[in-house]
Amino acid sequence: MKSVTTKARTRLPNETIGPGRRQFLKTAMKAGALLALPQVIPGSALGKAGTVAPSERIILGAIGIGGRGRYVLGCFLQDPDLHCVAVCDVRGDNRQRAKAMVDDRYGNQDCATYIDLREILARRDIDAVLIATGPNWHATASVMAARAGKDVYCEKPCTKNIAQSLALADVFRRTGRVFQAGTQRRSLPNFAYAVELAHSGRLGQLQTLHAHPGGLGTSMSGWLPAEAAPPRDQADWDLYLGPAAWRPYNRRLLDGFNFEKGGGMTGGGCLEWGSHCVDLCQWANQADDTAPVEYEPINGQLHARYANGVKLVMRNDGWLPLGSCPVRFEGTTGWVETGDDAEFGASSPDLLTRRGAKIPGYPADFHVRDFVDCVRTRAQTRANADCACWAHIACHAANIALYLNRKVTFDPKTCEFIGDEQANRLRSEALREPWRI
Amino acid sequence: MNVSKRHVTWFVLLVATAVSAVATGQDQAAAEAKQRELLAVLQSNAPKAEKAIPCKQLAIYGTDEAVPTLMGLLADEELASWARIALEAIPGPAADEALRDAMGTLQGRLLVGTINSIGVRRDARAVDGLIKKLNDADADVASAAAVALGHIGGDRAAAALAQALTRAPAAIRSAVAEGCILCAEGYMAQGKAAEAVKLYDAVRGADVPDQRHLEAIRGAILARGADGIGLLTEQLRSDDKDRVGIALRTARELPGRNVTEALVAEMDRLSPQKRSLLLLALSDRKDDAVRPAVLKAAQGGPNALRITAIGILIRLGDASCIPTLLQAATEGNADLGRAAQETLVRLPGKDVDADLAGRLPQATGKLRPVLIELATQREIQQSLPTIVSSMEDDDPAVRAAAVQAVGVLGRDRQHVAELTRLVQKTATSSERAAIEKALLAVTGRVGAPSVTYLMPLTKSNDRSLQIIGLRTLAVAGGPEALGAVNAAIAGDEGDVQDEAVRILSTWPNRWPDDADAGEALLRLTRSGGKMSHQVLALRGYLQHIRGNKGLSNDQKLARVKDVRPQIQRPEEERLAIAVLGEAPTAGALELLTTLAQDATVAEEAYSAIVTVAANAPGLSKPQRQQALQTVLDKSANNGTKRRAQEAIKRLQ
Repeated sequence: MKSVTTKARTRLPNETIGPGRRQFLKTAMKAGALLALPQVIPGSALGKAGTVAPSERIILGAIGIGGRGRYVLGCFLQDPDLHCVAVCDVRGDNRQRAKAMVDDRYGNQDCATYIDLREILARRDIDAVLIATGPNWHATASVMAARAGKDVYCEKPCTKNIAQSLALADVFRRTGRVFQAGTQRRSLPNFAYAVELAHSGRLGQLQTLHAHPGGLGTSMSGWLPAEAAPPRDQADWDLYLGPAAWRPYNRRLLDGFNFEKGGGMTGGGCLEWGSHCVDLCQWANQADDTAPVEYEPINGQLHARYANGVKLVMRNDGWLPLGSCPVRFEGTTGWVETGDDAEFGASSPDLLTRRGAKIPGYPADFHVRDFVDCVRTRAQTRANADCACWAHIACHAANIALYLNRKVTFDPKTCEFIGDEQANRLRSEALREPWRI
Repeated sequence: MNVSKRHVTWFVLLVATAVSAVATGQDQAAAEAKQRELLAVLQSNAPKAEKAIPCKQLAIYGTDEAVPTLMGLLADEELASWARIALEAIPGPAADEALRDAMGTLQGRLLVGTINSIGVRRDARAVDGLIKKLNDADADVASAAAVALGHIGGDRAAAALAQALTRAPAAIRSAVAEGCILCAEGYMAQGKAAEAVKLYDAVRGADVPDQRHLEAIRGAILARGADGIGLLTEQLRSDDKDRVGIALRTARELPGRNVTEALVAEMDRLSPQKRSLLLLALSDRKDDAVRPAVLKAAQGGPNALRITAIGILIRLGDASCIPTLLQAATEGNADLGRAAQETLVRLPGKDVDADLAGRLPQATGKLRPVLIELATQREIQQSLPTIVSSMEDDDPAVRAAAVQAVGVLGRDRQHVAELTRLVQKTATSSERAAIEKALLAVTGRVGAPSVTYLMPLTKSNDRSLQIIGLRTLAVAGGPEALGAVNAAIAGDEGDVQDEAVRILSTWPNRWPDDADAGEALLRLTRSGGKMSHQVLALRGYLQHIRGNKGLSNDQKLARVKDVRPQIQRPEEERLAIAVLGEAPTAGALELLTTLAQDATVAEEAYSAIVTVAANAPGLSKPQRQQALQTVLDKSANNGTKRRAQEAIKRLQ
């Protein structure tokens, strides 16, 4: 079968990672790029008619505002339907930079700052929160926010283990709050188009899905030698540890992005990238309410199988010149692959005739817009708590197979590994007092 | 199955079981050994730093034997959380008992942690102790106990929590309400809806934070089933946005056709904005009974509501919705028209294609270009004959849509002929540009068979048509097309000649069909009438060599050397370096070393040298090392130096 690629060249290092949200929307709509995306709710349909009265704006608080947090906060700040009033971070430098960013946006000095997330969650005027703390806090903070009556946009990986994934879905169902996982590729047209090819049968019957989680090895944040802790306003170590088991202050652990990623014995790259690319494979397989039933490490890769027979291959090394986070979907009559360059490879040029606009660089703007729309409509977001739950479960189960270095069999109905006590014991991990999910 | 086969099967099963038993036995022995090793660390005088991870590993390998040691750590502020990781995971009553005992001795945060672990383990024997803790003076402890009771559930826990809901201090009432809701969910899982309703209603009536009320409202509606419709609609009518919000979420969850019908009936009582929101909620119910209401909303009323309804039809609509959508697409409102067209593009089903194709021949006015555009986006091939005939329509909008459609859908030489004929008849430059775009697209699909139809353009007296002909011929490729381009280069019409040179310099490298392009470019590098022609030809030639899979590495090197005298500028030197870097030979290394002496391209040359020195066959180890060492010494690029360093390491 003749294959085709849309890739013309590699993106240059200094090239812009993508247009702003409104430009994205404009480009995407013009080019029919949203074919596979769910319905876009026009502002006018929500009674906004282009402008929103201050009393109608969604009030936002932002929790955990390091580098990634400030990027996503920037996407929120572009939105005239929303007003950010407070930021919270256990690190003083992050707090000040985020406050400056918010104040600069609104031309005042009104943005409040907090060290303790419980204080920002206690504010009754705040409708929604952005959580970009680092993986250690994501699930616990999201659940606390939902219980406090806030809608939540939470960066990924959203959970540290299978039990947290299930609790996350339960709590957001129980509280009726809106949740969006920061898996923004669900809102990007190239990934959505590839998924649509899988859903529409244009690839034939789906057979194998390839994801590139990268860094499939397991990792754990240990206990490093004690150092003198800084003053609380510089870094609140107790709050930084939060739900993670206690250990003394060491500045090398003060890296929220990597600290306790995955949390338990397992974690690391599989969750970091898997929460994106495995999530896309889940979507392609219409498996947002389940996870693979078998997981087996084979030659440095992780091979999984869904109950419907579709195979999922998690690859440790990249294989496509399509940028980061590549995926490949193979059916009986064709295949398609795409990645963060927003280019495609396909078994036939005919598969790509309706591929729409090219939006490289995985911007979060449109994903943020989807969240804001759902806060108003109370609809499920594209990366809602249920689909985030199952995508993360798939990653955690894969990690458990990798950690035990053997095949494990999983029952998605009971969420138990079949006849495998060791694997079952790795499904959850106690939180440090006083935190709970 | 015959007897012998059955015996074989049993034998295989027995062997498998025996192997499995041995393996299991070995695994168990290994796990026990691991546990002993971990416990030895915990029981030693090792510093706490060395005890933390063993605690965590006992979550996998720990048994009842590990419980006393772990229990001893529950009062240790630094190791308690590590110990509970194992205690929460170790199955069996010993861990439960340890945690219950600790509940009687600990205080403050450590006690909260222990209670949380009891809740996670759902230890029913802890209910009495937890009920006592509901009265603890420490609000955090009492709150943890309330939630743990909720997780454990059951009549005694539920009764205690319901009682506490009215009596407990305000500080813990939210947690008590949460416990009640968790208990109610437990009842629902057991099919005891009536008990669940009582708890939900108790929370609804309690003085607790509003979020707990919302959760109780949702639960109360779902637990009542169809009888919950009244409570649901009451929330929808509320002026409180949180009540409306929880109603919209619950409207998506409460099952039943009668629920759908009741919610549809409720639509007329609501404001237009709430109607939009309810319509969206209804559309998520996956109930066909919603479609008539959506269609009705799409047909008339406030535009905002119509746009929402039209958007929903992407998921719920079918061919029966086409008239409504076409009406909206053509009635003159831009927002409405865009929404309707978007839905018509995405509406699923072959019957939708057939319906739209059937309407096109008779369509007039605004409808005709809309249908052509839909045929384009939906790729409705059966509409193509009608569309081709529309390319000469009197209405410019129809003509433009038709030309664009043929560009997308056309895949036949006849379409090339039609477009070629049309472009010759068209005088307007904008329309010509659109036709050229379509012609390029169709020619790309048809390939060499297009050439016959395109050749007349190159013989036209109109020079812009000649240029269109040359451009499209380049897409078609093949010797005849190449001949036409060469003839234009040899001609005397300046602008046509310039364009022909540009086209040749970027000629698609279809080896072996268009091998002659290389020779034509080589000739032009030496005999081009203008300097710009020679430069373009040289660049094209070097790119041609680079992409020509029919040439060996040695042949590529020979060709680069052949044009070396013409390579005078850094731009062309870089192209030559690119060729050599991808054709590793000893000769390439030598030439690259020479090129590296030019400071303007030295870094590109060094980078290529690393590749060639590492991969070229026939080089001795000292030759490779010397070349790589030169790069290490002279390159200013850290990436190149790193690659050179790595290549040297591989040589050792």
